Amino acid sequence: MNEDEDRTIDRLREHGERRQQRREFFRAIAAVAGVAGSMQMAMTIAPAHAQATAVSDADVLNFALNLEYLEAQFYAYAASGVGLSNSDLSGSGSQGAVSGGRQVNFSDQIVAQYAREIAADELAHVKFLRAQLGNSAVAQPAIDIGVGPNSAFSAAARAAGLIGAGETFDPYASDENFLLGAFIFEDVGVTAYKGAAPLITNETYLEAAAGILAAEAYHAAIVRTTLYGKGIDTPALRSSADKISDARDSLDGASDLDQGISPIGSASNIVPLDDNGIAYSRSTGQVLNIVYLNNAAVSGGGFFPSGVNGSIRTSAAN
Amino acid sequence: MDQNDAIMAALRARAQRREERRRFFKVAGSAAVLASAGSLLSACDDDDKTTTPTPTPTPTPPPTLTDADVLNFALQLEYLEAQFYTYAVTGEGLPGSQLTGTGTQGAIMGGRKVTFSDPVVAQYAAEIAGDEAKHVLFLRNQLGSSAVAQPAIDISAGSTSAFSAAARAAGLINDNQSFDPYANDENFLLGAFVFEDVGVTAYKGAAPLISNKTYLEAAAGILAAEAYHAGLIRTVLYRKGLEAPSLRTSADKISDARDSLDGSSDLDQGISLSDGKSNIVPTDTDGIAYSRSAGQVLNIVYLDKTAKSAGGFFPSGLNGNIKTSAAN
Repeated sequence: MNEDEDRTIDRLREHGERRQQRREFFRAIAAVAGVAGSMQMAMTIAPAHAQATAVSDADVLNFALNLEYLEAQFYAYAASGVGLSNSDLSGSGSQGAVSGGRQVNFSDQIVAQYAREIAADELAHVKFLRAQLGNSAVAQPAIDIGVGPNSAFSAAARAAGLIGAGETFDPYASDENFLLGAFIFEDVGVTAYKGAAPLITNETYLEAAAGILAAEAYHAAIVRTTLYGKGIDTPALRSSADKISDARDSLDGASDLDQGISPIGSASNIVPLDDNGIAYSRSTGQVLNIVYLNNAAVSGGGFFPSGVNGSIRTSAAN
Repeated sequence: MDQNDAIMAALRARAQRREERRRFFKVAGSAAVLASAGSLLSACDDDDKTTTPTPTPTPTPPPTLTDADVLNFALQLEYLEAQFYTYAVTGEGLPGSQLTGTGTQGAIMGGRKVTFSDPVVAQYAAEIAGDEAKHVLFLRNQLGSSAVAQPAIDISAGSTSAFSAAARAAGLINDNQSFDPYANDENFLLGAFVFEDVGVTAYKGAAPLISNKTYLEAAAGILAAEAYHAGLIRTVLYRKGLEAPSLRTSADKISDARDSLDGSSDLDQGISLSDGKSNIVPTDTDGIAYSRSAGQVLNIVYLDKTAKSAGGFFPSGLNGNIKTSAAN
């Protein structure tokens, strides 16, 4: 079967549909364009010289798409050894390559199941957001999910105190390392979608974003519950997850927006919530602090060596 | 082929498992939101529609739901969840001071402490109980004097209880048998599973109806908490199902029962696929969690697929302006 032909037919079939969706998308945005800017100013924790440019729904969805590229590639490689199809990566901005990524040789088949399931969900998110954005979708930026002493994963593990200088953290080496690697991203997606919710003006997109938020929270619960359960026999899993949480917290500024998994009194801590039982929000800048692995205002680094594509690309100055 | 075979196979398996998926974005613009709001509104005046056929020259606009109406609806689901988990963990319910408000305050039927054999399940129960109690407090604080009282709630374990009716609808027990969610770890997890996921779909369905952005972000945060809870319960059921396969099949049957209560559209998924693969995350083919209208949520907690104003876990119905289940 000629796959290129197959893809071309798919593309032609989707073309009319996407054009129609895009038209509706921008009609919806146009009606409310003025509101987005003031909302952004009100909701974002930003330095005094905060940007005055309005953020559109497309900007927010494209920001989310960059994060989904990262998650989808990591899980796709871990589950199958193969990344996303090239046709799912094109778009505006500079398209970049994925460095690293390989299949995990899972010993616990249940963990392999979870990896496969999450990989499928994240791929669906990429495809969904790209379909909604149509020609406005940003390309996948350069992504570092590699293994080596200078990789983003090693830098994150080093920031968390899991490894020393010059050492390497390989998230594909074992079930345990895979779960800890996944833990670096999980929860962050939840806080990102929650923080973005009030910035989305179109109610249809808002409901969709709420649905992706829920999916990310289910994923985070899978990873946290599995780490917690395995932590009975391997206590280092719990303490390592707690350290990763602390590292995220120190990257995103002074406010406490993260929690580890170790028990508090007689209760586990699978669900990271504030005193009201509510999940945390992160601004886009705070999310970028974590994926750039930098607590200062920068436009690239860590898992996105060349930065993300789109108009939201600068991390917060903490 | 450079596409990931395994992932695509998983996607296909999901698509095959359920015939009908909601595809919000196949419909134009904000039609989905209007439809969702419409079903919620119609759920509120179904009785008027069916019992008052008198033609009116000028159609009366449907009553507008306020944010307080939506939050009060959520509050009552939280009363139910908080009481169930609090009893399971401590053997006691929420303090009386947290149950007052407008409407008719009702009592709790049943509820008792579970003697957990797996200390990790006990820790999970304690965590979720704490979270749900906080949700009750938070919503009551936001609503102030507008908060509704806790309505009558049935979380008992006899043969005519709501839990037994739910288990019977799922085919887990026969006529006259009882399902006791406090009897052991496994039953507790299945009892919890009856509610979990429903909260997620309820908050997601309500999100576009909330106009105040601060409430919206808070609701998104409770939605996330409920999804974490559901993910926790589903993960534990799936894992324990390795040794006790009936846990997986029972959860799948409960999901099917929820699905048959809330109408013809497929809004629910069990925890395992036909080949035993995991399905911890109930999402549509776009990887997006489902929405339920308020009426559909009430179908499940009333355990009735028709338009009713009471039943199941809420024997006297809900307080507030949203109280009628959808007519399916």
